[in-house]
Amino acid sequence: MATVSMTVNGKAVTADIDPRTLLVQFIRENQLLTGTHVGCDTSQCGACVVHIDGKAVKACTTLALQCQGANVVTIEGIAAADGTLHPMQEAFREHHGLQCGFCTPGMIMSAIDIVNRKGNDLDEHTIREELEGNICRCTGYHNIVRAVDAGAKAMAGPAKPMKHAAE
Amino acid sequence: MSATGIGASVRRKEDHRFITGSGRYTDDINRPGQAHAYFLRSPHAHATIKRIDASRALAMPGVLAVLTGDDLAADKIGGLICGWMIHNKDGSPMRAGGHPALAQGKVRYVGDHVAVIIADTLAQARDASEAVVVDYGVLPAVVDTATAMTSKTVVHDVAPNNSVYNWHLGNKDDTEKAFKAARHVVKMNIVNNRLAPNPMEPRAAIGLYDKAEDHYTLYTTSQNPHVARLVLSAFIGIAPENKLRVVAPDVGGGFGSKIFIYAEETVCVWASKKVGRPVKWNSDRTEAFLSDAHGRDHVTEAQMAIDENGKITGLRVHTIANLGAYLSTFSSSVPTYLYAPLLSGQYNIPAIYAEVDAVYTTTAPVDAYRGAGRPEATYVVERLVEVAARQLGIDPAKFRQMNYITKFPHQTPVIMMYDAGNYNASMKKALDAADYKGFGKRRKEAEKRGKLRGIGFSSYIEACGIAPSAAVGSLGAGVGLWESAEVRVNPIGTVEILTGSHSHGQGHETTFAQLVCERLGVPLESVSIIHGDTDKVQMGMGTYGSRSGAVGMSAISSSKLPRRTSISRTASSR
Repeated sequence: MATVSMTVNGKAVTADIDPRTLLVQFIRENQLLTGTHVGCDTSQCGACVVHIDGKAVKACTTLALQCQGANVVTIEGIAAADGTLHPMQEAFREHHGLQCGFCTPGMIMSAIDIVNRKGNDLDEHTIREELEGNICRCTGYHNIVRAVDAGAKAMAGPAKPMKHAAE
Repeated sequence: MSATGIGASVRRKEDHRFITGSGRYTDDINRPGQAHAYFLRSPHAHATIKRIDASRALAMPGVLAVLTGDDLAADKIGGLICGWMIHNKDGSPMRAGGHPALAQGKVRYVGDHVAVIIADTLAQARDASEAVVVDYGVLPAVVDTATAMTSKTVVHDVAPNNSVYNWHLGNKDDTEKAFKAARHVVKMNIVNNRLAPNPMEPRAAIGLYDKAEDHYTLYTTSQNPHVARLVLSAFIGIAPENKLRVVAPDVGGGFGSKIFIYAEETVCVWASKKVGRPVKWNSDRTEAFLSDAHGRDHVTEAQMAIDENGKITGLRVHTIANLGAYLSTFSSSVPTYLYAPLLSGQYNIPAIYAEVDAVYTTTAPVDAYRGAGRPEATYVVERLVEVAARQLGIDPAKFRQMNYITKFPHQTPVIMMYDAGNYNASMKKALDAADYKGFGKRRKEAEKRGKLRGIGFSSYIEACGIAPSAAVGSLGAGVGLWESAEVRVNPIGTVEILTGSHSHGQGHETTFAQLVCERLGVPLESVSIIHGDTDKVQMGMGTYGSRSGAVGMSAISSSKLPRRTSISRTASSR
């Protein structure tokens, strides 16, 4: 057993864990934050994406011990304390960017990271390329791309009234 | 149309929990004292099991039990079933080999379930699985669809030539005549390759046993919890129906692969009584590839007869359908009644004859997947039509238009009667939208840049919402294909719809509510859709085959929805 301490969604946590524990297991089983999902065993699918010290990381490919002292943010940590949704979350709902919802937390966390790195005015090609590490089996991606585009713009400044999804 | 009724563009009610990470998928659920199951799977495609020695595993930390097929047999637990009887041409029943949830005597595909190791933690179960010694007698594998029936390797003793059934549909004599008289015959060999369904959420199950009530609960990633309960109680014999609750909570996609009743969920619910603790299992992606039911895997010899006027006069098909190592829950129906009746496509074909040989191979079981038989039929028909047009030197769009059915209702030679259609209208619209006239010019321009350019068509017809029960029953289905709905209007005017449908991405919580809003004139927020729990919803057949709009919503629509006036009266008389 080993002891690990980190901050998860703004809360300091400490736990004794099997050293083999992956970060995604720590988050889901130890912290009972089940919004981060496991969809594959090869780091391809992106359902497990979280932010570690401000960067998108696949939690299935990181040991919890590697996050000693880190600041981890999951899907549960991006809405405001009063429940106001993050603009990217709002955009996914507005633009029907999800069906079964299983890939959605990872998509949203990846999308926010794309904006952090590439800015608020993303072109379609960039969004599609940047989402290569996130797989969806339901939507065919079109509405996810629309959602990311809209979310990126909304993250730029004060909330603008959003249009309903066209289709 | 109201702002929230049928056809209105509304935000989905279910999205809030999904975008905030508060969905409740099966693996998100935890029960006090739960133990974890790990399945030891065969590394061989085909082998006898000579001996299983779990003694070292049982001594390892946290291990509660190592269970095998022998334990299932001792508890008189039945095998997994195929619920659709298909008969051979001679009237004899299909050859259904036994399908135990844990292998008994033999393994028949890589990934086949040999033992389950149950321990306090998943890590302990996995570690212990490596200590289980299995002595296999490796046998030759048979994996090739086209040659399975001539292989010396027999997968199931009840099927000595690996034939599950030899079935046919259509009019053989009329078809032979059409081919004899044909001006032109197109012949093709077509392979529809095997697919792995891969919904994003891997399968999972939690089995619980309540000793006080002698009652089981199973949480499972299912598209149809009532069907799971029926099969587990009536056929597998876990418990009588009233002692088994099945809950399918949020499910992350199915595409057909979560229709079937699988080994793992069966073992979890059975084992929960044996170890006296909840037993939780979830699949990793490798296991999903290995043991989620696969789709397609057809090898087809197809022929089309055409007369001197370019009219299709006959279609003849011989398909070998690989059903894998065991018959999965609906597998037998997919290359028969979900396939052959669609072979007329959109075309007026007076004579059709289809022969289907379903075969066993030492591969993962094959069952319904996204379209289940109809994409296979469409592929055959449209490939033939395309090649016919090219061989005859007729424009492929024109050749289709020449052969479309134009008079309705139209009775095909393969059971289906089409009530209405206007295939020419669709094609015309497609040709306009694609600027078909300008294609030649675009192709030349692309050629100048060193690029090849092509254009293709697919006219297809789909059978979905398959029903009614009496019809499918007469074709061999062991269950009806009805749906159930109960509408509850509560004292302060909120409405709950209990539906046997299940949403694993389809958005029923929104669309079903929109139907109710339309009919009752109540706000969208006051309508809740309840699904996925056999304790709450009395009965249902689940969601697959595009049936929930047609059948699920029809059930809601046909229920005696109270009139709008009585709702407002109740609300105001508080």
